[in-house]
Amino acid sequence: MNSLKGKNMKIRNLIGLLFSVFLFSCIQSEAPNAEADILTCTVPDDILKAEPEIENESVTLIVKSDADITNLAPVFTLTPGATINPASGTAFDFTTPHTYTVTSEDKNWTKNYNVRCIVSGISTEYHFETVSLEPKYERYQVFYDISSSGDVVNWGSANSVYVLTNVANKMTDFPTSQADNGYEGKCAKLVTCSTGSLGSLVGMYIAAGNLFIGTFDSGSALTNPLKSTRFGKPFEHIPTYLSGYYKYQPGKEYTSKGQVVPGKTDQGDIYAIFYETDDNVRYLDGTNALTSPNLIYVARISDLKPTDEWTHFYIPFVPRPGKFVDKEKLKNGGYQLAVVFSSSIRGDYFEGAVGSTLYVDEVEVIHSDNE
Amino acid sequence: MKKHIFLICVLALFTVSAMAQVERNMGIIKSSLIGLEYEVKAGFNIGGTSPLPLPREIRSIDGYKPTLCVAIEGDVTKWFGVERKWGMTLGFRVENKGMETKATVKNYSMEIIGSGGEKLKGNWTGGVQTKVRNAYLSIPVLASYKLSKRVNISAGPYVSFMPNGDFSGYVYDGYLREINPTGTKVEFQGDNRASYDFSDNLRTFQWGVQAGVSWRAFNHLNVHADLTWGLNDMFEKDFDTITFAMYPIYLNVGFGYAF
Repeated sequence: MNSLKGKNMKIRNLIGLLFSVFLFSCIQSEAPNAEADILTCTVPDDILKAEPEIENESVTLIVKSDADITNLAPVFTLTPGATINPASGTAFDFTTPHTYTVTSEDKNWTKNYNVRCIVSGISTEYHFETVSLEPKYERYQVFYDISSSGDVVNWGSANSVYVLTNVANKMTDFPTSQADNGYEGKCAKLVTCSTGSLGSLVGMYIAAGNLFIGTFDSGSALTNPLKSTRFGKPFEHIPTYLSGYYKYQPGKEYTSKGQVVPGKTDQGDIYAIFYETDDNVRYLDGTNALTSPNLIYVARISDLKPTDEWTHFYIPFVPRPGKFVDKEKLKNGGYQLAVVFSSSIRGDYFEGAVGSTLYVDEVEVIHSDNE
Repeated sequence: MKKHIFLICVLALFTVSAMAQVERNMGIIKSSLIGLEYEVKAGFNIGGTSPLPLPREIRSIDGYKPTLCVAIEGDVTKWFGVERKWGMTLGFRVENKGMETKATVKNYSMEIIGSGGEKLKGNWTGGVQTKVRNAYLSIPVLASYKLSKRVNISAGPYVSFMPNGDFSGYVYDGYLREINPTGTKVEFQGDNRASYDFSDNLRTFQWGVQAGVSWRAFNHLNVHADLTWGLNDMFEKDFDTITFAMYPIYLNVGFGYAF
């Protein structure tokens, strides 16, 4: 009987092996690529102030104020097998944006990229009056400011990944949206939201409302959420104070990784950082925004008390010991500034309370040139 | 005295059991005379639930585990004619069919519906782990043919009812393009796993064809191999998350006792 069972085991394994060989031999040839992405954009190094910002449908080149962009020929690398029109390496006058169309290898898909150069850095007064909509599907809002040279500069938020949870029914259901009844005009509303059943499938139960100067990399948002919030854009002044108005109410139930933590209350966060870039550090992110050795000045609110009244904050930028600013490097875009708002201070660790709401308005970065 | 009583009891026992034996043998002889044969079978199911042909999106099978699947069956065969060459077999089988696989897919279009009704549609490129474990009550209706004194072959349709089934797994090491291949790209790497469970979308009623061979190893003891091939999609009609039809294809090998 034992030998019969043993025989059966061996037969079972043999048949299992034959089956997998059978399946394996039935694998069809690989289909041509369906994706149509711009992977990299290269322009002469000396005109850039920061890394090219490549998003799903746009490429933004932050160039020095004295750069000549009237005859610029960006070179692109694409998804293998894809083609781009106009061709990579074609020279254009980039004082206005240009649209490129990428076609996939299998010819079934095309994607339009808006490629533009923006000259100066960011503005220093934020009123949160202007929002645009997500390109193409228009499901959520994107805050933007117009810089002194007339360029549109977007704020970063996690809306582009939150939309995947399909929880929000309207734009104001998103973690980051615009609200009426600001301190003046409209304001920014940041709410910690539940990610629903799809978010729980990936172990990310809540999404904090966040808004920051920088870009959000949706690609790494699920794998490495701390690295997806890239804080900072080139800034040519030395910041001294961060001022503005806020309102805040924490949500009712504090949860950590999906489990309720009784007795703990959520807290919001407002901070700003000024740091230097170098060959290794092109931007700071959620892993090091407040700890990096490249930080020069940090302003952080110390008592974000819950309140339903617009409350003024005026926080100094505190210098890190032993750090100084190189005026030449400052002019060439070697330093970056980020202002960061969040409705849950531990939101990037998925700790916080659903419903925590932070309103901010009339924020200003006061800098040494003002004085 | 004691010895006598003991002997009488033993004799009585023998007589009773001998009579019962005669009764049972009579039953079997009667059945055999009218061409009825009974068999109790036990075996293992090995195979898998697979789309056919393998869609182009599947780039490789990275792992396959048969898992322990047992089948227990009772058959009755009625042999026709004088020569008893052809017959018809009706079976009743209680069985498990299951497998575990890992595959790499490219640009696989899918729509996941969350338990709250949330819809996520997109194209997944990366690893997919699948675990299937279904319990069935199957009824094959087969034509049987005595190829030789020891070998029978059979073929015919079967129907299965599935009282409970499990079709679940997770995706790993890859990325999703939202809505279509040009959508927002979200990566999923390292130890991250996103699990799915489509057990609620499995069809309760399945049918297919079965073909097999049976070899009489010893008096009354048969060894068999039956291939069952499902012909209808394992999933409900309006289930769009898996865009291709999945068919259960299993080989049942084991032994049986014929009487």
